[in-house]
Amino acid sequence: MIRTTRRKFLVTSAVTAVAALSLSVMPAQAISPRSEVGVSSTSIKLGITLPLEGSARYGYNQLPGAMKAYFDYVNANGGVHGRKITLTVKDDGYLPKKAIANTQAFIKANTFAVIGALGTANNKAVAGSVNLGKRGIPSLFVNTGFSGFNNRTTYPTSSTLLPSYIMEAKMMGKYISENYPTKKVCLLYQDDDFGDDALVGFDKTHGNVDFAVKVAYPSLSQGVAGAPDSWVAKFKAGGCEVQIVFGVATATLFTVQAAAKIGYAPKWILGSVGADIPAIDPRTVPYIKDAVSMSFMPSNVDPKDEYVELFKEINTKYNADYKAGAKFTSWQLIGMNTAFVAVQALQAAGKNLTRKSLLAAIDSSGSKFASAGLVPLNYSKTSNVGYNGYWFGTFNSTGDLVPNATFTYTTYTTDSGTGPVVKSTYVRPKMPLKGLPN
Amino acid sequence: MGAVHSRHITNKHRFIGFVLIGLVVYILSNIADEWKAYQGATVAVFVVAIASVILLTGYSGQISLGHGALLAIGAYAAALTQIYFSAPIWICFIAAVLVTALFGAILGTAAARLSGPYLAGTTLALAVGLPAIANQFSILGGEQGISFDAGWPPLSLGETFTQYKWFLWITTLAALIALWWVQNILRSRYGRTWRAVKTNEVAAEIAGINIGRSKVLAFTVSAGLAGLAGALLATTLNNVSPSAFPLALSFSIATGAVLSGVNTLGGVMIGAVALVAIPEIATSISDRWSGSESVAVLLPDFIVSALLILTVFLAPKGPIEKFRSRHSK
Amino acid sequence: MFQFVNTLLIGITAGSIYSLMAISIVLVWRSTRVVNFAAGGLALASSFVGASVLEKTGSFWIALPVAMVAGAAFSAFIEYFFLRPLLKRSGDKGHEIFLPIIATLGLLGVIKAILSFTYGDQIGSIPPPLSDKGFIVSGESIALSPMRVLILGIVLTLMIVLTFVFQRTNLGLSLRAASFAPEISRLSGIRVDLVRTVGWAISGAAGATAGILQTTNGSGSVAPDSFEFILLLIFGFVAAVIGGLESLIGAVVGALTLGVILAIILMYLGSSLVFFAAFVILILVLLLRPNGIIGVKGGRRA
Repeated sequence: MIRTTRRKFLVTSAVTAVAALSLSVMPAQAISPRSEVGVSSTSIKLGITLPLEGSARYGYNQLPGAMKAYFDYVNANGGVHGRKITLTVKDDGYLPKKAIANTQAFIKANTFAVIGALGTANNKAVAGSVNLGKRGIPSLFVNTGFSGFNNRTTYPTSSTLLPSYIMEAKMMGKYISENYPTKKVCLLYQDDDFGDDALVGFDKTHGNVDFAVKVAYPSLSQGVAGAPDSWVAKFKAGGCEVQIVFGVATATLFTVQAAAKIGYAPKWILGSVGADIPAIDPRTVPYIKDAVSMSFMPSNVDPKDEYVELFKEINTKYNADYKAGAKFTSWQLIGMNTAFVAVQALQAAGKNLTRKSLLAAIDSSGSKFASAGLVPLNYSKTSNVGYNGYWFGTFNSTGDLVPNATFTYTTYTTDSGTGPVVKSTYVRPKMPLKGLPN
Repeated sequence: MGAVHSRHITNKHRFIGFVLIGLVVYILSNIADEWKAYQGATVAVFVVAIASVILLTGYSGQISLGHGALLAIGAYAAALTQIYFSAPIWICFIAAVLVTALFGAILGTAAARLSGPYLAGTTLALAVGLPAIANQFSILGGEQGISFDAGWPPLSLGETFTQYKWFLWITTLAALIALWWVQNILRSRYGRTWRAVKTNEVAAEIAGINIGRSKVLAFTVSAGLAGLAGALLATTLNNVSPSAFPLALSFSIATGAVLSGVNTLGGVMIGAVALVAIPEIATSISDRWSGSESVAVLLPDFIVSALLILTVFLAPKGPIEKFRSRHSK
Repeated sequence: MFQFVNTLLIGITAGSIYSLMAISIVLVWRSTRVVNFAAGGLALASSFVGASVLEKTGSFWIALPVAMVAGAAFSAFIEYFFLRPLLKRSGDKGHEIFLPIIATLGLLGVIKAILSFTYGDQIGSIPPPLSDKGFIVSGESIALSPMRVLILGIVLTLMIVLTFVFQRTNLGLSLRAASFAPEISRLSGIRVDLVRTVGWAISGAAGATAGILQTTNGSGSVAPDSFEFILLLIFGFVAAVIGGLESLIGAVVGALTLGVILAIILMYLGSSLVFFAAFVILILVLLLRPNGIIGVKGGRRA
């Protein structure tokens, strides 16, 4: 910026004539607001940007409906300190550029905080460009497991909910060494930070998995005719017996279909992101019963979980997207839970809600928030990490992930560093009455 | 044609016009909020990009459906110049122009041999293919890209001077300088040559014009402009990633060119403003009348597409020419 | 070797589907000198028609011809109501091909928006009518299944029918005459406008077939914002340009070349390069032969 003074001189000298005139219309932002942006005595404005259109939308597009449903439920029961929560939803088609524009639009519309913004690349681009951290705007519970977001210096106003992809890969490593120690293991992963995080989690010092064949795919290449065929042909030629897919739902779908065509039938282990295949279309998805995947939430078909039961009820009653007879999906469960944790954070921030008090509340009492998750939340002054563990399960005949026939969960926890994967002793506290935090 | 009018307008008049536009933007930048300032900066980016297409298609008769790829080259060139040489931002802009112009010269050499649809196909394939290879090279930062930081506004401009207002100033100044330069070229010997070739290749050849060289030069200049547009786009985004240059961007720029009127540079603002304003208008429409998420998502595309068809039908030479022809009757 | 043969089979299947889209584009180019980007949207719309018919009747063999007829009707509609008046206005000026291209791009956007408004989040489902499990050759399953044989069969049949129509019938003669010399054709009593509409209709039917086959060969379902269809359009257009834009055989040769080379790149070099490879193939072909593999040298310039 050596030349800025000179340019400034050039520009200003060219416009001195009207400088005085324009001084009279100085921007209104100069005056500091009396109350916090996006908060009034009766309302709180939140925003979310995620893919509602485009190939990455599957599953994710169920999140906002469920989140809104829970907020509406809370609003109908008096709101948070008398304030009703509104959630503005914007589509970014999984494109960082659109996510940036959406976030800017949120700021323009005086949004109090962003919640559940989705995608690693998108969140990184928004952080780098709009710089929510420097502006002090909270970006709560970003929907990505990229471990980089756990850096509090770079992302002072962000928090994550999902376990990191490194944790996920480490756990898969543990699972493989216990269940398939001698098998040939292969990996399909997305060629960006999402996949790179997984590679770290699988390396020698973390999950320690040796892959017979590794294939990276850029997210755009999924739709190219023959691309999934070529991935699968390589795995088959490499004699793979256990196949990990660390990609989005469409990549999983295409891979499983291509595998069926050439009779490639490994033991499938699907990453948490791309596992929810039934979200696409059960009629055309070849059946992959018994594929292994992992979750930190209870199973969405768990008949005895109090959260699942209540969330299902709220979903049926309040979700605008709900169609009679439709089943309660794992995505809706996650959306509902995200909103549930958010309401507690807003509650804990107190009557004088500000962006600062909200972030402080998560730091000080976030680890004590009730949640449907089966592993603990890890918020503290030094950590913005949410859940840190998983349980393993298989897909049943209706395409839902279940731990076993009796719905008993064995959970493991770990960190994003080189710490061990340990069996968790966490016991989930009882749900607040009617699922309304107070 | 515009030539009839330009006889009355001297270069001095034009310069005053440019300064006036600068003044208007300066005044607006002091009234506008951050969001408006950001949109204003985006308009400036589109102005340069659309001017680049108009120069190529309207004046030299070559077709490009892949200008997004050229913008990508400019944006990456600017960002890499900043990262590896810690160069000030205006050096980055110049680097973007030069690198992209060089690429344009190479591509133009191939393009000069191709007639319309073949060139359309080649540039289209380029638009799809080029941004995707950014994933291949770690120096380009993969899917989430690399940063390009125009810096915070200097403190001497005051505490309340916002980042986006700063972007608006930078992009507008760059756009004005670029357009000034382009309109000078167009009225030079080269500009006349391009038009001669476009109007009648055989006649131009007989008149002693080297058609190949003329076309390559037009492609080079157009690419340089596109490179600048890419660097300006990176400025407003603070970031360069493959997703900033999807096929849709190339189509948007082509759309903007048609809305502006392909044959004349005069309407370049119209297309740029339309591209930025339409999504805004569509959002307010869907907010007011439906509130449906899917309508809000689809409406901008629908309006742009419909407007495009209407323009092609009602004002194929662009709104400016339409206006002129009506008044000269 | 086994893997290489499989790669070729994957490439040939993909290429044969591209070839239908390429044919669709070539037919429109030949009859009206328009590069028709709306072809992708027409294929998408016809596929949705096919999916609904399939849902009602349960038969792929009813759904395919109905989708083809629908594609032909959509395409003829667009020619009659949009392109014909547009071309009349611009007076068939040779170098003004930019505006029609942009107009078809606008049509593509409108078609996609209408489909999205109509179908929203719904997905059209066209599962393969035959088994898509690969044949077993010496104990190994290969990348050729009854379904893929069917795809190749349908493409081949259409090719033969179209070639016959163009070479041996009066309609074919009129189509060729109207595209190469519209004025002379008009003088010799050919109803050029009608013939052009017919050209668009055939193009629409070919595009519809491409859409249906693409869906069954891919994920088995089609969404209004399908990126696969945009890729089908782009690769189909690139194939048509490689083939020279004027000839049906050229389109097929271009598409198969593109399909096979892309499959080889996908298999041996990785997915990242596939889009750039399409550009490289195109530019290499055009540098050697500026009018495509089977282009008419120094022929009609646009």
